[in-house]
Amino acid sequence: MTPARRPTTPVFAALGLLVAGLGLAAIHVAVRAPGERARLAESTRLVKVLGLTDLALFTEARYTRHPSMADLHTAFQDNPMSFEHFPSGLFIAPPAHLPGGQIGQSEKDFPQ
Amino acid sequence: MITLSAVTKLYNEGRPNQMAALDGIDLTVPGDAVTVLTGPSGSGKTTLLSLIGCMARPTSGRVHLNGDMVSGLPESFLTGLRRTTFGFVFQRFNLVRGLSVIENVRLPAVPLGPDHVELTERAMARLEHLGLADKADIPVEYLSGGETQRAAIARALINDAPILIADEPTANLDTVLVNRFLDIVADLRAEGRTVIMTSHDPRIFTASLVDNVVRMVDGRLDTEEAPA
Amino acid sequence: MTPWLRRQRALADYTLSALGRRKGKNISLVVIYALIVFLVASIMMFSSGMRREADLVLSEAPELIVQQLTLGRHELIAGGEVEKLAAIRGVTAAKGRLWGYYYDRLNGANYTVMVPDDPTIKLEQGQAILGEAIPRSRGLSWEGAPLFLSRFEGDLVKFDVVDTLSHDSALVSADLMLITEQDFRDFFGLEPDVYTDISVSIRNEREIATIIAKAEKVMPKARFVTRADISRTYQKLFDWREGLLVTLAIAAILAFGIFAAEKASGLSAEETREIGILKAIGWDTGDVIAMKLWEGALVSVGAFLTGAVAAYVHVFLGGAGLFAPVLKGWSVLYPDFALTPQIDVLQLTTLFLVTVLPYVAATLVPIWRVATGDPDQVMR
Repeated sequence: MTPARRPTTPVFAALGLLVAGLGLAAIHVAVRAPGERARLAESTRLVKVLGLTDLALFTEARYTRHPSMADLHTAFQDNPMSFEHFPSGLFIAPPAHLPGGQIGQSEKDFPQ
Repeated sequence: MITLSAVTKLYNEGRPNQMAALDGIDLTVPGDAVTVLTGPSGSGKTTLLSLIGCMARPTSGRVHLNGDMVSGLPESFLTGLRRTTFGFVFQRFNLVRGLSVIENVRLPAVPLGPDHVELTERAMARLEHLGLADKADIPVEYLSGGETQRAAIARALINDAPILIADEPTANLDTVLVNRFLDIVADLRAEGRTVIMTSHDPRIFTASLVDNVVRMVDGRLDTEEAPA
Repeated sequence: MTPWLRRQRALADYTLSALGRRKGKNISLVVIYALIVFLVASIMMFSSGMRREADLVLSEAPELIVQQLTLGRHELIAGGEVEKLAAIRGVTAAKGRLWGYYYDRLNGANYTVMVPDDPTIKLEQGQAILGEAIPRSRGLSWEGAPLFLSRFEGDLVKFDVVDTLSHDSALVSADLMLITEQDFRDFFGLEPDVYTDISVSIRNEREIATIIAKAEKVMPKARFVTRADISRTYQKLFDWREGLLVTLAIAAILAFGIFAAEKASGLSAEETREIGILKAIGWDTGDVIAMKLWEGALVSVGAFLTGAVAAYVHVFLGGAGLFAPVLKGWSVLYPDFALTPQIDVLQLTTLFLVTVLPYVAATLVPIWRVATGDPDQVMR
């Protein structure tokens, strides 16, 4: 009678396939590279020509559509105490260049 | 042959429940013979068997195998010895549940990385010799008592060890199966192997093919019968 | 096959047979583990892809944008300020930009309306160029279909759509509507000579700080946003330390921790007995440990490979479709874009180590003492 097949045969084959899958992914990256360079070039050209400053990813509100251009006001336009209520606020932090608060306890805090 | 000199084995050494399983054993077990260790429960026969088979090391005293001292050797060497020189059949057979018969039989050889096809052939040959070939792929839980014993013997012999060690191999078996076991022992002797076992079953230690009977009481030798 | 390889394969055979006794439990373990790796790897690949895209594409954003602030709010800026900025040494050009938002009541979408200041874009009065998401959203299915906008009840303004911006630039332009300056001022009711903000071109990047210092003196109430500020804003996009992703990161770490803790929580009597049997029949400590290593490695490496390959396919071949509803949020318009396929070896290696090492270590810990003991216990 024939004994059963070794369990490592299908398992190692599956693992081998997955490793091959990673290899295929690397090939995919290389194959798509020139096309992607062209696409990025077109995108960059439009940014330069139109003077764009932000991605058109979160079009829900003004300060989510142009976070780099946002002022302190718009985020609180509904209510000064309101929490972030647009879902896209979960994905991007407020820009660092918005002026933060300074506790001016003495003249030393203000550069002359 | 195996020689024990002034061998003592203590369990729970240094603790309040320290007990001496063996106390000052001097014994020679001849090769190419069938030896049975016998005695009441608690006499230390299982402990003696495990020391003979290099499963454990004595607390004091020495064990020699064919003239070479083995009792002071490191664990890794003893494991190699267990693999090549001894085959073990345990009291409760101790087959791995959930695995098939042939997987259990192959198990002692796995760490040696043998050729899979060749190993399977060897295992099947042993199973055929013991009348278990048709049960090779079924899980071991489904075997009867006698079949389990034979599967355990097949496993013990997979590495072609010259010495078979068995601890109460016929416990819970009826006379028919006991006789069948004695036939297997006769076959092993015909192959030139040594058999050392413990048994409190009179059907075993009074059997004609037994060459030596070693009686034990309370961790010491009682009497030793020389071969007739 | 060398003896070492044969030995490894034989040990792996035994491990798989042993795992196979609880097939359901072990398969679901691998599946769940792989799902977590899939989620984490997908987020990793998507986030770095987006950040890389933003980084590359916005590298050509204007060097400096000047905004007028009143009461902390962004206000229209007078045309006269443009000359002031153009006069600063080091400034190659200063242009007033006209752009703003239009909320389309018909589909609830926000458009970014812009006046292009470039000779290559040809627009006449009454014409518009749209980003690729607007025709989709308004159902302008045939070429040349006009766009009707209604600013208030009873209002109707018609634009002839002369062109749609390409899909290639969808990520930066999907919601854009380009019209002429006159149309813009008419549409939004703007006086002449006011602008939304001013875009300043500076030849030498290192002079930006000095130019800002000079401009601040001339325009004290203005705010200055540099190209570096824009770039920094988008480096925080989908950052692990922000918002939702922090929660997901903590959840994933907890999950890995739970898997490892479960494994390390000690040996059942059954497992102890089995290791005793193996040692009794001739396996030494090294063999038992090697076998356990195989057990840990097969599960964790298998989960990692499955999750990572699935994540790559999901993000770069499937456009991260599972994330789209979350990213879309309340937006009506969503750009139809594809990220550049990219494999970050460092990121993947880190994920591999986090997935595999704790789990394998956890598999070894409980058996260490049992594996090194004397096997005669099994005789009792």
